[in-house]
Amino acid sequence: MSAPLPPPPPGFAPEQLAFSRHSRYQRPRRRVSWWGLLVGVGVGLAIGLTYAWVVEPVREVDTQPRQLNRAARADYVVAIALRFSYDSDLGRAVEDLLALNLGPDPFQQVANIACELASTGYVDSTSGIRALRTLRTFYQLQGKTGCADQLIDDATPVPLATLVIPTNTPTLIPPPTKTPTPAALTVGTPAAPIVPTALPRRTYEGQILNTFCSLSASGMIEVTVRDANGSGIPGQRVRVRWDGGSDEFSTGLKPDRGDGYADFRMRSGFNYTIDMPGQSDPIAQTLSAEPCFTNEGEEALRGYRVVFRLVR
Amino acid sequence: MRLILSLLGGIFIGLLSGLFIGWVVAPTEYVNSPMTALAQRWRDEYTVMIAAGYAVDRDLNGALERLRRLGVPNVPQYVQEITERYITNSRNVADIRLLVRLAEGFGRLTPLMQDFRSLNPETSP
Repeated sequence: MSAPLPPPPPGFAPEQLAFSRHSRYQRPRRRVSWWGLLVGVGVGLAIGLTYAWVVEPVREVDTQPRQLNRAARADYVVAIALRFSYDSDLGRAVEDLLALNLGPDPFQQVANIACELASTGYVDSTSGIRALRTLRTFYQLQGKTGCADQLIDDATPVPLATLVIPTNTPTLIPPPTKTPTPAALTVGTPAAPIVPTALPRRTYEGQILNTFCSLSASGMIEVTVRDANGSGIPGQRVRVRWDGGSDEFSTGLKPDRGDGYADFRMRSGFNYTIDMPGQSDPIAQTLSAEPCFTNEGEEALRGYRVVFRLVR
Repeated sequence: MRLILSLLGGIFIGLLSGLFIGWVVAPTEYVNSPMTALAQRWRDEYTVMIAAGYAVDRDLNGALERLRRLGVPNVPQYVQEITERYITNSRNVADIRLLVRLAEGFGRLTPLMQDFRSLNPETSP
């Protein structure tokens, strides 16, 4: 149902009117050619992107670790492992690895990098071998394996260069006598060889004194940090780690329990390791939050008393 | 004339869009950069890591070799500068202690570092 056409103007036949309505020459002209505009935008875009990406790209001034090349990433991973060997801070190590964007399994990538380094001239120096051992420990602690496990032996640490300094100790020339004697020979006395060692030094040694079962201190780790004379040392950081987490606390915050005292409550079903970051090795024995029964027959979690002693 | 004007207008719009995309929205990102191009923040972080490694193994040559990758011409000088910068900017004390230890290893212990040196458990009386 279309609207009736208006009457044709004077002098136009109905056929002529129909022809003029469908002719593009009779449509009003637009001021913009859409085809021209489209082609222009395409050409301009191409020129602009070429200039911005190729001719005058953004200058590289703030490179992130993830943008490093393969060799530099390997160096960075070694540095992460070195710091981990110092502070055993797994959380920070993971953050650093994530900054490198190594992939979905960064620790396996660390193992792969160690494998590559162990196959190259990186192991030609004592420093390189030591760094690779650190790297290997780093990924093995996370349950990963790599070819570096076989390529680097577990022998005792490679000693640094042995310095033998020969020092001649001249003997006094005897005073002249009437009977000339042959000139005394200068006797060289070799000094004892100096063998620098590079074993990691620890300030504290920790041990578990005993366990206890108490409802009021259920699952508690009671830590005491003492000096060589047995006095408590406040302000010392103690760290506990468990599967998927870690926490740090300081001694001396409960002065009624002693200057060197600190404690931490475990959660049921978890195993914990404890150390003083950067100052002691982790205690070899795992602390398990296992159920126990008090003397009154009440169920609680086993607690531990741990002491760290200053060894030097 | 209409076609030419439209074409020129389109080129102008496209050019601006291309530059905006290429410089702002999706700028060139380098993915194969050497260690020397690392941003300052990460260079500092790397140096502290190496200093921590030195605190453990006392391998001065190893630390020197690793820091040389940063492309600094004089590594001991660089360590002195970064250590003093950390102290001046009151950065993390634990990091400062590590850097001071490394600076001392390189024979670059300055008066500014003395207080932090005495904080090191190994050097404190």
